[in-house]
Amino acid sequence: MQAIKRKKRKETIIEGFFLICAFVAVISVLAITVFVFFNGLKPFISNSYPIWDFLTGVEWRPGSNMYGIFYMIVGSIYATFGAILIGVPVAILTAVYISELAGSRLGKMIRFAVELLAGIPSVLYGVFGLGIIVPYVLKISPMAQGESLLATILVLAIMILPTVVSISETSISAVPKEYREGSYALGASKIQTIFKVVLPAARSGIMTGVILGIGRAIGETMAVMLVCGNPIAGIPTSLFDQIRPLTTNIALEMGYASGVHQELLYSTGVVLFIFIMIINLAVNKLVKAKVGS
Amino acid sequence: MGRTAKDSLVKGIIYLATGITLSVLLSIVGFIFVKGIGLVNWDFLTRDYNEKVVYAFVESGEVPLSIDEESLKSKQPYDQRYETLQEGPIYVENIGAAIASVSYKNHSTEREQIVISYIEKDSPLNGAIDSTGKAITIGTDYILQSINGTDFGDMTLEEVAETITAESGELKIKVVQPGGGIKSNIITTLYMVLLSLIVALPLGIFGAIYLTEYAKPGRLVNAIRFAAECLAGIPSIIFGLFGMAFFVVAMNFQISLISGSLTVAIILLPVIIRSTEEALKTVPMAFREGSLALGATKLQTIFKVVLPCAVPGIATAVLLSIGRVVGESAALLLTAGTVAQIPGTLFSPGSTLTVQAYYVAKEEGNIELACAIGIVIIVIVIVLNILSRITSDKLDVFNKK
Repeated sequence: MQAIKRKKRKETIIEGFFLICAFVAVISVLAITVFVFFNGLKPFISNSYPIWDFLTGVEWRPGSNMYGIFYMIVGSIYATFGAILIGVPVAILTAVYISELAGSRLGKMIRFAVELLAGIPSVLYGVFGLGIIVPYVLKISPMAQGESLLATILVLAIMILPTVVSISETSISAVPKEYREGSYALGASKIQTIFKVVLPAARSGIMTGVILGIGRAIGETMAVMLVCGNPIAGIPTSLFDQIRPLTTNIALEMGYASGVHQELLYSTGVVLFIFIMIINLAVNKLVKAKVGS
Repeated sequence: MGRTAKDSLVKGIIYLATGITLSVLLSIVGFIFVKGIGLVNWDFLTRDYNEKVVYAFVESGEVPLSIDEESLKSKQPYDQRYETLQEGPIYVENIGAAIASVSYKNHSTEREQIVISYIEKDSPLNGAIDSTGKAITIGTDYILQSINGTDFGDMTLEEVAETITAESGELKIKVVQPGGGIKSNIITTLYMVLLSLIVALPLGIFGAIYLTEYAKPGRLVNAIRFAAECLAGIPSIIFGLFGMAFFVVAMNFQISLISGSLTVAIILLPVIIRSTEEALKTVPMAFREGSLALGATKLQTIFKVVLPCAVPGIATAVLLSIGRVVGESAALLLTAGTVAQIPGTLFSPGSTLTVQAYYVAKEEGNIELACAIGIVIIVIVIVLNILSRITSDKLDVFNKK
């Protein structure tokens, strides 16, 4: 009796231990949120910098105590939007090719290539951008430098390809065969079937891929930092203007910032965090909707 | 337009898109290999990034030149990465080596240097020791700076050769090991991988065991899953901010190996939890039931039956994690720093390969060097990719029958 009881107690203790391990994920999310928000909201609560100036300012000059991130928000949104505009169609069509048109061997090879593309660290995309894209942009640009919104968009468009391709491809492959057969039976061609039946059926999966792509684009730091120019002021008005996305602002100056300057970099992180949370919630909702249907 | 024409047009667009995707991949990998391959060699992998000054003690001898003048000239006396040949080479018998004058380009400054261009097989330089008596290697393209206290600063190549020839007995030579290598970055990356896995692997595996084997659906499990998903969606710069605020400042770990690896460990958690969960789910229910029916406790079942079956899946998780650490940059930039050195303790900074690639591209504008580091990274990524393919194939055995 005693032995069984002891065994049982041991089992309960270890179950508790496993639970704690699993709970570390929750604790981490909470800790990240608390630490970033705590540090980021400090300057506004202690009134060392007005939040309105922070959110609407278009100049970031730590030397003269000007910290406005509005132009960064605009830059981030433009870059992400542009990347989605270019990257998503290419990615979805590639996914269509892999799952619908390519033979199984060719499809496998392309899938491997896409996975490899996903595995390349973002810094190397940046190096590629700096070595190839920026010089080409410079050739057609009226500006004196190639680092620009356009270069950022192109690099980000490449970077979201693997995410969107692989998720779209999975959800296209998951569309039941009967849908296609039904469509063929009605006399539709293969292409019509793909665009009128398969893609609409895979819509929510593709949307999830796109939103994850947005998340990747808006959160990308290192690749962007090498090709965006990082100006200290100015809302971008043309594709050839330099931009300074929220992420690079943090990464560029965190190393040496202190005082209010440092706290406002955390505030930049808070703004970024809020964007990301909105995106995460959207994904969550989409995934749930998919399960529901 | 007819239906067939329209269809083939659309098909053409699809082919075009796929072509773009593939050519982008090819051009990225191709660009990095073409730009960087010239710099990748053994020295690149085994040298430090920073120059190192060494005092070498050498017993002078008389070693005649064993090759003819022509082939001596053809020996590349300089490290092609940074240097152009100015004069030489001249063979000096008492150190059994040839010296040459090169213009050595170090980041932004350019100066003339005397380098060793060729070393005879039985040259006394091969038996060089440092002040503590430890054997050291002196290789070709090491820079010579002084001998027995005579500085070569403003001397011409001939004068230097004469100065060396005039010396005898034990020579004290000041040489500089050229930098530009990535040894310290490779080692830092290894440390980072090991440390972060030591922390994240047990947490992730036990967490996944809880989720698949114990947890009953409910609010708690939902919270844990939601948290893991959130972690997976947070960009690495935010992890970097957190690591900076928590590990670097609040815990006072400074910008260091430990701050970096703990931050990365959090990034790895969702990766490990997810792949371990997938692996545990593939283990058939019948295995567990069989074990329980034999009188094993739940714990015994997990450790003796379920986990061994899930080993390939866990191996996949480890490989994915290594890939993540190798590729991580933004978070490490803020928590582990950009110092190219081998971290002596857990609390000293060091830059991984990826951070170093960023650093040389951004701060030094040296794209070739960044690409050379990129080659090393891509090779690692490809190897990991292939290995994880093998391990995940192994996992499917239960379902194949």
